[in-house]
Amino acid sequence: MAEFMTSLLGKPLYAFFNPINELLTPLYMPWARIVAVGFFILTMVWVGAILNRAYVHLERPNNRWYSDLRIWTVVSMLPHVFVYLYF
Amino acid sequence: MDEAMMGLANIDIAIIIIYMVGVFVLGTFFGKYVKDAGDFFIAGKALPFWAIGMSIVVSDIGAMDFVAVAGSAYTHGISVANFDWIGSMPAMVFAAFIFVPYFWRSGVFTIPEFLGRRYNAAVQMIHGTIWAVFMFTMLSLMLWVAGDSLMHTVLGWNPYVVVWLMVFITGVFTFSGGLSAVVMVDVVQLIIMFVGGLALLFLSMWDLGGWQSVQEQVARQDPKMVIAIQAEETIPETAVAGVFEELGYTVTHAESVKKLSARDPQRFVIRFEGLDTHGLEGNDLIEQIGTFRAEASEAITAGLVQLVGDEKKVSIPTFVTYESHFDILLPHNTYKPFPWTGIVFGLGIVLAIAYMSGNQTIVQRTLGARSEWDAKGGMLFGGFLKSFIPLMVALPGLAAIVVVPNLVDDSRAVPTMISIMLPPGLRGLMFVALFAALMSSVDSTLNSATTIWTTDLLGRVKRYISGSPLDERQGLIVGRIFTVAFILLAGVLAPVIGRQESIYVFIQTALSLFQGPTLAILLLGIMWRRTTQWGGLAGLVLGVAFCFVLNYTEGLFPSDDPFLFVAWWSFVFSLVVTVVVSLLTPPEPEEKIRGLVWGAVVQDAVVQDALNERIS
Repeated sequence: MAEFMTSLLGKPLYAFFNPINELLTPLYMPWARIVAVGFFILTMVWVGAILNRAYVHLERPNNRWYSDLRIWTVVSMLPHVFVYLYF
Repeated sequence: MDEAMMGLANIDIAIIIIYMVGVFVLGTFFGKYVKDAGDFFIAGKALPFWAIGMSIVVSDIGAMDFVAVAGSAYTHGISVANFDWIGSMPAMVFAAFIFVPYFWRSGVFTIPEFLGRRYNAAVQMIHGTIWAVFMFTMLSLMLWVAGDSLMHTVLGWNPYVVVWLMVFITGVFTFSGGLSAVVMVDVVQLIIMFVGGLALLFLSMWDLGGWQSVQEQVARQDPKMVIAIQAEETIPETAVAGVFEELGYTVTHAESVKKLSARDPQRFVIRFEGLDTHGLEGNDLIEQIGTFRAEASEAITAGLVQLVGDEKKVSIPTFVTYESHFDILLPHNTYKPFPWTGIVFGLGIVLAIAYMSGNQTIVQRTLGARSEWDAKGGMLFGGFLKSFIPLMVALPGLAAIVVVPNLVDDSRAVPTMISIMLPPGLRGLMFVALFAALMSSVDSTLNSATTIWTTDLLGRVKRYISGSPLDERQGLIVGRIFTVAFILLAGVLAPVIGRQESIYVFIQTALSLFQGPTLAILLLGIMWRRTTQWGGLAGLVLGVAFCFVLNYTEGLFPSDDPFLFVAWWSFVFSLVVTVVVSLLTPPEPEEKIRGLVWGAVVQDAVVQDALNERIS
């Protein structure tokens, strides 16, 4: 199967993927860390600042700070940022 | 000590028996609350966020994850933790705020049912069938894992007795209490799992002098090769070590593992010096190791073939170096299976979100939430709890490199650590934790498989024949019949499927081919009102076909197992196909997509006013 597929479609697929691999291979630190940490930070910003407040809080049981799902998101995600900065 | 056996004291056995009886009683207790299909499949929409979050984690983490993730950390390092960190939390946030509210509001029982409403019956049937087959196969496999890999291998118990004991316990309480019973048993099982897992972590770190000390001791380890030779006669380890010595490597440890039967290959662990990576890091380190790995593997294989006289008898399954064991993000061209590009794009953006938003066992818990806030909160709480899993699983796997550095089979890392590190009592508790992880996956999969078969397959067929879907009473009866039938059939087929690795690999591959395209049509179906039923069908079918092509075309990606890259590119391809075909076909009528697309809920002023009124 692999041999058949490679001979049939290998040429156009290599022409597409090889330049991408060549571009990505030298990209490592600090870009890998920036992208990974940025993924967490952008997700937090999306929930905390961009999402409609009414939508986030729909059917919230009370108005105390501990039932705010935006705070839950930040508390859950922030440790990951430190993990990816540490390792 | 025999690495496969975990000696249990009487107190450990007592803990296991108390656990099994307790779970059985607790599960069957919830039977009295089940009156109709809604109670059985989605717990009558009464679940609080904490139960949802705990149940999601324990349903997702099976005993095999405990064993396999620890083994992967033992061989590949901390990068395996990505699956529970970047591969979970962001996906669970997206699931909580994009997908779950829509599934919850539309009142569906399953994801295929949602796809059926948004697209058409063909999309529902394709998606439902692949998940139904996958779940049923997994059920058999999990039962066999419990019986054979866990109870038989570790304790020496009869695997068939264990399988049927599991069938009885999980079958009875899932039949009786449905999702409520499954979730409440999961809550207890998560607490047990965390107590056992954290005990193993703290005792491992205490014994080895702390985290810093573990890092230093792992970094000092020599490279390791695990070699399997299928020869009729027993080969002395000195002969294999001699091959390394002849090539100029200094062997620091040579060990042979006894063959269990004549058909088993003889396995050797060889540690050696000769790889100078001092001062190298990043791509330079990868290049140096890659060159060494290729040259050494080739030369050593040639030497071993000369020794046994047949190249088919020699295989080198793993080559392990420890330089990057504590790097969570590895270069794009790493020889290890988790490069950072695949982790961020393939895992973080595609596979994780597809899994958390499209896996019936995960989503079904949120569909049973008592409010939309509980559904979202349950997902977030689950993500928070899941962050601790690598601490309990991957770190003991890393500690095992120091405690038992010469394991041939890395899946033995956790059982061996338990037998060495934990005292009687705690050892039984940890064993119960493994069993809890496994049982919770079995009961959740059984309940979700039943739901899909009842709603998406039988329900569709009935609607096609009689023009009406199953009513609540019929749904409950059919759901319970499927529960009994599936668990009994899974018990009968467990040894067959469990022993055929090719079946498991085929099902896993088939499911992985679906993840990228499924996410693409799910995302576009919710986010873009212009997506049409034909766009969704084309995106799903052509996306899976493209996955197939990428999976079987050699050398496209640097990794030997490029599933992360395949997931990303099939997702992108499906997005493009769905958009193009949707633009070429007539838009869906407004009444069909009302309440099913993002814009109608978040941007529509009338709907927003209604939402604000509800929360004020």
